[in-house]
Amino acid sequence: MTSVSVNGRDQAVEDGETVAGLLERLGLGARYALVERNGEPVERARYPEVRLEDGDRLVVARPVAGG
Amino acid sequence: MSLHDPFIVAGREFGSRLLTGTGKYDSFETMREALTASGSEIVTVAVRRIDLDAREDDITAFLPEDVLLLPNTSGCETAEEAVRSARLARAGGLPDWVKLEVIPDPRYLLPDPVETLRAAAILVEDGFTVLPYVLPDPVLQKKLEEVGCATVMPLASPIGSGRGLKLRDAIRIMVEQAEVPLVVDAGLGSPSHAAESMELGADAVLVNTAIARAGDPVAMARAFKLAVEAGRAAFHAGVMAESVEAAASSPLAGAIHEP
Repeated sequence: MTSVSVNGRDQAVEDGETVAGLLERLGLGARYALVERNGEPVERARYPEVRLEDGDRLVVARPVAGG
Repeated sequence: MSLHDPFIVAGREFGSRLLTGTGKYDSFETMREALTASGSEIVTVAVRRIDLDAREDDITAFLPEDVLLLPNTSGCETAEEAVRSARLARAGGLPDWVKLEVIPDPRYLLPDPVETLRAAAILVEDGFTVLPYVLPDPVLQKKLEEVGCATVMPLASPIGSGRGLKLRDAIRIMVEQAEVPLVVDAGLGSPSHAAESMELGADAVLVNTAIARAGDPVAMARAFKLAVEAGRAAFHAGVMAESVEAAASSPLAGAIHEP
């Protein structure tokens, strides 16, 4: 298993899990999820191909109400 | 005034000169109705970390079709934080337009001009269409234009205060020397404030709280739409010059009691 952190919380994922796979695991597949991996933004088109590595730090965000 | 009077930002035409925020509504359903009633074509959103324990509705499902989503950088206190937030939004599929706000002060929510200018330069260089939120500062306006901002958006008064145009003379100077559209953003409390901004020559206004927290947000959205149109029409019509003394509207000679 691989362990990553998502918004500061440890999350176990399958070895070779992709960003898209992680979002689905978190129940965010259909959402407008924005992803940063180790401080770098991940292009939406690359969610299915970017594979997570042990110790990755992820920020998952989304648009919310604001002015 | 010509009937075709589009609001043009970075080469893109908009029919509405009223930009709206999505914050502070009681429900997304009310928000959707109000945004539709406002006629807005540019609608701001914030970007925040997802709460993994909550199952919140997706705001994008409640926005009218065909509006341009304008992610803001609210919550950012430095240029680096704002650039990071904007890049995250763009990578994730939001537009490459950004309402740039860098606000270190929680009491008055006043924007940091130095960090805003620094972030603007970085973001323009990185291909963003940048709409910076600033204090009404004509010198800063020129610097933001020089680095390539698409608009300059001075506040009327502090965010959410509803106090209207408190630095009217500074905004008048900004209107006079503007080379990119000037959008009065924040502090407009009522449609008359919006109309006043447009009469002064602002190209557009951005309103959130005054609509979202109105007794009837949908009716207020419509009122703001009308006020912005009226103010724009008045600007084109040419507002009369003020004078200290009265000037009679009726003839001074020939009154009935005259001999």
